[in-house]
Amino acid sequence: MKILTGILGILLLLSGCSSVQLQDMSQHMGFVTKAATVTQKAARPISDEEEYYIGRAVAARILSIYPLSKDEYPAAYVNLIGKSIAIHSDKPFTYGGYHFAILNSHEKNAFACPGGIIFITKGMFSAVKNEDELAAVLAHEIAHITHRDGISAIQSSRWTEALTIIGSDAMKQYGSQELSQLVHLFEGSIDDVFKTLVVNGYGRSQEYGADETATVLLLKAGYSPEALKDLLARVRGEGGTQAGGMLKTHPATTDRIENISSHMPSGRTDNSLIQKRTARFLKILQYNK
Amino acid sequence: MKITLYAICFFVCIFTSVSVCAGTARIITKENAIREDCRFFAPVKAKVRYSESVEIISGEGDWFRVRYKGISGCIHKSALEEKKFTFSGFTGPQSQAASGDEVALAGKGFNLSVEQSFKKSHPELNYQTVDIIENYSISDDDLRKFMINGGLNQPR
Repeated sequence: MKILTGILGILLLLSGCSSVQLQDMSQHMGFVTKAATVTQKAARPISDEEEYYIGRAVAARILSIYPLSKDEYPAAYVNLIGKSIAIHSDKPFTYGGYHFAILNSHEKNAFACPGGIIFITKGMFSAVKNEDELAAVLAHEIAHITHRDGISAIQSSRWTEALTIIGSDAMKQYGSQELSQLVHLFEGSIDDVFKTLVVNGYGRSQEYGADETATVLLLKAGYSPEALKDLLARVRGEGGTQAGGMLKTHPATTDRIENISSHMPSGRTDNSLIQKRTARFLKILQYNK
Repeated sequence: MKITLYAICFFVCIFTSVSVCAGTARIITKENAIREDCRFFAPVKAKVRYSESVEIISGEGDWFRVRYKGISGCIHKSALEEKKFTFSGFTGPQSQAASGDEVALAGKGFNLSVEQSFKKSHPELNYQTVDIIENYSISDDDLRKFMINGGLNQPR
C-alpha cells in the first residue's frame, strides 16, 4: 500500500498539480530566482544565427582590405568544390549556408569567416596544381567553420557581458542603451575574430585539428586526402614559409606535414579520377588571371 | 494489489512515451527544405524558414522524418534544434509552450538590429559585396552534375 501511495504521489507531481505550488514558491523567492534565471540564460553559447552575423561583419572587414575577384568561372568553380565537400561535413547546413569567393590578391592565403563564408586568394588558387589540392585548401577552411574556431577567438568575458545585457529585463523592450552596449560588444567580437584570422592565426592545436578533419572530408567527398600534404610539401620546398599569408599565420609547415601523415585516414583515390578533375581545373585556371 | 501496481506503471509509461514521441523541433537555418526522402538531392516537398516548427516523426541516420503543415518529409539534423522536453503530465501540448521570458528574449543578441547599427557606424566595411557573395547560389542539379563528372562521392 505504501508503494501504491508513493507511485500516486510521483504521478501527481509529474502531472503538474504540484507545479502550481512550486511557481508560488518561486514568486516569493524574488531576486534569487531572477538571478538564477539570468545565470541559466548566460550559460548559452553563441547561436548559429549570431555566428552568422559575426561572420558577415568579419567578411565585410576582410573585403575592405582585399577586393573581390570578378572572374565568374573560377568563382563558380570554388563554390562547386566547396559545396561538394561541405555536404560531407558534420554540419552541412549552417544558418546562412556555405559561400566561397576569390580575393584579388597575390598573397597565398585563405580565410574562414564564422558561419560559412570562405575566401581564397588568387595567389593561393595559382599555387595549387590540381582540383584535389584546391579542395584540400577549402576542406581545411570548412573544418575551421565546423569546429567553430573563429567563434572561439572571441574573449569569453565579452560574451558573458553580452549575455548579461541580453538576459536583462530592459532588453525585453530592446532599449537604445542596451542596443548600443550590444553593438559595442559585437564590434569587439569582430576585432577578436579578425585579428585571429588575418593577423595572429589560430593556435597550433586548432590548425592540426583542421588539417585532420580536412583529410577525412576529402576522402568522404572522393578527393585525395594526400592532396593537402602534397600542397604543403611543395610550398615548403618553394620556401613558402617566408611568403606570408596562410603560411605566416600557421604553424611550421614541416610539423603540419608530420601531423597529417600520422593522422592520414585509410582509403584510396582512383588516379584516373584525379586526372579527370585536373583537366577541368586547368580549363578554369586560364580564367584566374 | 499487483494488478493495480502494473496498471499504474502502464499508464505512467503511456503518458511519458506519448509526450516524447510528439517532439517538435525548430529550424535554425535561414531557410531549408523538407525533402521527399532522407537524402541530399531528394525532391523538395516544402520550403521552411528560420524559427518555424516541425513535428518529428522519426530519425533516419543524420536525418529526421518530420511533419510540417500536413506535409511529411525529411530534413537534415544540422538544420534543426530539438525543443527541450519538459514533462507536464496530463497537460499534453502545453509542454511545448515557451515561457514569457523566452518569447521576450527570442532573437535577442547579435542579430539584424545589431548589424544595422554596426553598419551605420562603419560605412567603410564592404557589406555590399558580402550580400553579392551570399546571393550567389548553385542549384542542386548543377552540384550533383559536378560531383558525377568529377567522380566525387554523393552524400547519403
